[in-house]
Amino acid sequence: MKKLRIILLLCAAHICAVASLFAATYTPDNLPIPYLQDKTQYVSNPDGILSLETVDSLNLWLGQMEASHGVQTVLAVVERIKGGEAYDFCMELGRKYGIGRKDQNSGLIILLSTGDRTYYILTGRGLEGTLPDAICKRIENNQMLPSLREGDWDEAMLNTVRAITKYVDGDDSLVGSSDFDDEDDTGALIAFLICMLLGLGLIGFGVWYDNYKKSYCPSCKQHKMKKVSGYTSTNRRLGIRTHHDTYKCSNCFFVKEIHWDEDLHSGSGGAAAGGALGGSFFGRGGGGFGGSFGGSFGGGSFGGGGAGGHF
Amino acid sequence: MKKSSIYLIIAAVVVLLGFYGCNTYNGLVSQDENVSRAWADVEAQYQRRADLIPNLVNTVKGYAAHESETLQAVVEARTKATQVTVDPTNLTPEKLAEYQAAQGEVSQALGRLLAITENYPDLKANQQFSELQAQLEGTENRIAESRRLFNEAAQKYNVSVRSFPANLFANMFGFSVKGNFKADAGSEKAPTVEF
Repeated sequence: MKKLRIILLLCAAHICAVASLFAATYTPDNLPIPYLQDKTQYVSNPDGILSLETVDSLNLWLGQMEASHGVQTVLAVVERIKGGEAYDFCMELGRKYGIGRKDQNSGLIILLSTGDRTYYILTGRGLEGTLPDAICKRIENNQMLPSLREGDWDEAMLNTVRAITKYVDGDDSLVGSSDFDDEDDTGALIAFLICMLLGLGLIGFGVWYDNYKKSYCPSCKQHKMKKVSGYTSTNRRLGIRTHHDTYKCSNCFFVKEIHWDEDLHSGSGGAAAGGALGGSFFGRGGGGFGGSFGGSFGGGSFGGGGAGGHF
Repeated sequence: MKKSSIYLIIAAVVVLLGFYGCNTYNGLVSQDENVSRAWADVEAQYQRRADLIPNLVNTVKGYAAHESETLQAVVEARTKATQVTVDPTNLTPEKLAEYQAAQGEVSQALGRLLAITENYPDLKANQQFSELQAQLEGTENRIAESRRLFNEAAQKYNVSVRSFPANLFANMFGFSVKGNFKADAGSEKAPTVEF
């Protein structure tokens, strides 16, 4: 019995070991993309190869790059990639998610696979002018390779992104996403205002129509009736307040009585209802600013530009 | 009365057929246009490679002058390939195969050239050569990607042209089947550049 247990334990340990071996080999399909959950996270560091401070700095810089120039980046540092071909991995990743804004195809993928000892900088179609292949190669040769040879992954990535930022900052033709977002926000604001105006208009029309109906004089067929007196009686058991209003026509002095019931359980009076409505509107407007958002990729395309190599 | 209703039905069928024909025709035109655009991209990428070659040859010449035979082969293959052009309106399978063969020769000559550069450590250490190689590699990748996209567009177009009943209209208006790239014999992969 004891033997069996030991064998079972060994089996379990073996399965775990095999599973962890598999987990360390990434495909474009199973590589975690934190950006999709939180749009301030550009770095995919599933094996914890980069330090937390480095990841923070990289996220900050890449976030600034997206805000100022609309360059959407995925930076992945992993132990191993399936097949060991960095270019194929990057292309498939770009194709799968459509990284980069569609209007300027400004996607950028930086990959380092420490186990395969290979790296790649893949540029979106719209970035090929800003970061030509030769420049990518130069950045890799001068900024990345020296640190990679020493096994300093943090320094390699920091230097690389710093150098890329310099080239991207020098290109004024790339439009920042902050302008893009502003436009979006304006649209949302206008839509919100239109909705609110429509809502208020409907309420206003309802009130007006109600009064219009009540002012109709059955005798002279004119809308000249005005409320002259009224009282209410309340039935607490049913929760109903009955209004007894007397209307008098200013044209033919016809008098009519209108009785209408008000349900006490569902708010009382138009003013309160309006208030509640307004409140919920503003509540919605205010609620939109808290919390963190997942990002989404714009559908940029990659034509195969960029450079890579082995170390 | 009966006769006139028959005429009416015939007229309706003719009008419907006309609509269908127009629709099919317009669909084929836009797909044809897609194929032409994809082809223009393929040609642009091959042209990009052709533009890189003189620079590459000159750089290698500075370090490996006595490899003139290999260098000469690259230049000749390039010259031959630039003479083979395909009109986008005439993308027949035969024309395309001819184009692919000419470009394939350039690829092979380039592969041989890059292979001999392995023997020259000074050349490999040269920053300019390293960047040129990166450009060449990137261009080969772009060629592969544009060829893939062209094949996709051509395949979509061919399916439309050959399926019934669109093929009747396609024949009538002269839409013919387009060729596409076959995997290069012996050199499926672009010359890989190792460092």
